Amino acid sequence: QAIDDDCNQTGQLLAAMLDWPQGTFASRVELEDGAVRVEREVDGGLETLRLRLPAVLTADLRLNEPRYATLPNIMKAKKKPLEVVAAGELGVPASAPRLKVLQVQEPPPRAGGEKVESVESLLGKLRHAGRI
Amino acid sequence: AMAWRAAPRAAARLLLGRRGIASCIDPSTGLTEDQKEFQKVAFDFAAKEMAPYMAEWDEKEIFPVETMRKAAQLGFGGIYVKPDVGGSGLSRLDTSIIFEALSTGCTSTTAYMSIHNMCVWMIDTFGNEEQRRRFCPSLCSMEKFASYCLTEPGSGSDAASLLTSAQRKGDTYVLNGSKAFISGGGDTDVYVVMCRTGGPGPKGISCLVLEKGMPGLSFGKKEKKVGWNSQPTRAVIFEDCVVPVGNRLGAEGQGFSIAMQGLNGGRINIASCSLGAAHASVLLAQEHLTVRKQFGEPLANNQYLQFGLAEMATRLLAARLMVRNAARALQEGRDDAAVLCSMAKLFATDECFGICNQALQMHGGYGYLKDYAVQQFVRDIRVHQILEGTNEVMRMIVARNLLQG
Repeated sequence: QAIDDDCNQTGQLLAAMLDWPQGTFASRVELEDGAVRVEREVDGGLETLRLRLPAVLTADLRLNEPRYATLPNIMKAKKKPLEVVAAGELGVPASAPRLKVLQVQEPPPRAGGEKVESVESLLGKLRHAGRI
Repeated sequence: AMAWRAAPRAAARLLLGRRGIASCIDPSTGLTEDQKEFQKVAFDFAAKEMAPYMAEWDEKEIFPVETMRKAAQLGFGGIYVKPDVGGSGLSRLDTSIIFEALSTGCTSTTAYMSIHNMCVWMIDTFGNEEQRRRFCPSLCSMEKFASYCLTEPGSGSDAASLLTSAQRKGDTYVLNGSKAFISGGGDTDVYVVMCRTGGPGPKGISCLVLEKGMPGLSFGKKEKKVGWNSQPTRAVIFEDCVVPVGNRLGAEGQGFSIAMQGLNGGRINIASCSLGAAHASVLLAQEHLTVRKQFGEPLANNQYLQFGLAEMATRLLAARLMVRNAARALQEGRDDAAVLCSMAKLFATDECFGICNQALQMHGGYGYLKDYAVQQFVRDIRVHQILEGTNEVMRMIVARNLLQG
């Protein structure tokens, strides 16, 4: 999930386009013979999937631990050259962005709940709302 | 390991908590961007690689060789040693910041690392090219560990009266005598030894580098200590120990000067370790006061304890500024550097012990249990008021500066 737009789409779109299985928000990945076991971070906890390869995986924060920066590397970082390249020099056709924002809206405000007097009344209301 | 696996916000809070960010004792104020980066690496390393193990290392008296080697991979093995022999080439202030941060994870281990760093610096600074290339790279990577041998059973504060003799025989020195209270002694590989090659007094002292395995070099029993238990302490014994002349650092008679120059940095480093312990203790006390309830409310509602915490924070910041001021003076080569280092060591080690002790008191009975870290910080930094020059000797140095200077 990209931290700029939080769209949570790229991995899923890629999997659909390739028709490959997907394991998103992977926090643990184990390769097996011709398959991969993926532990995913989901709202309710952890979900483990076994996907046939090839597959698309997207990484969660918990998948790996970043290395420590070493003191010499921290000092070298400031001295690394920062090369500025114009988009035209890269041979990439300049084009309008391929994503269009159609609409941005707040989630609907939380509707008030309803108190019922009996279990039968509760079941009736749920049936009426098409929930059961 | 657990902190990282927890939800990101909780993990960040844990790491930030160790740093005391957004508070009056934030140790990153006034630092450059680079220094903040060094400090961050050191704090992260301390929180993840040291803090979870400091109690076990203390209880089981484990010398955490693998952890220190990991630290050395990040550049912590020769922090102020020149890069051409594997050091990180940083300043004294950078070093102070790093040791202060590492000390929040385990003060005893960090203190040993600072002694190791001082030894490598001595060889780097006073050794010739051949000696630098022979010893420094493997010490900077902590493939090998170093110990510093100055103190003897008969000469502690009166260091210049040391008796270990080094008699010249052809192209060797033959050493006889013993050193006491040597940190790392018996487990380390390289020994920087001050010994007498000439007449009495400081001018007769030279500095030799010995290696474990040299015939005639042996060690006493491992001492049982109140703290500093993650580093072994032993006597180092020389019995007709033969050392090549090529292992002498600098000239004959230069040893005492080398020792004194080493101690300036050593004093800042030890003081920095005290700062880290006190910083961690203030955060532990702050947490405890918020959580513990008596008489129906958190301890933090008591003005006496609020005032106590405020005083601890104020003393910590004052000590930190003394230490960083001395570090700057030393790296700038100022004339007053040595006396400032002594003042900083005196003030910081005394104040920080008081802070840790007060933090223990605030924990009540729990502060006395080994399940709680605060008692280990108290035990570990108690010795900082004694070694690297007792705080009494620090007062001698300052008084001399005022009355004779």
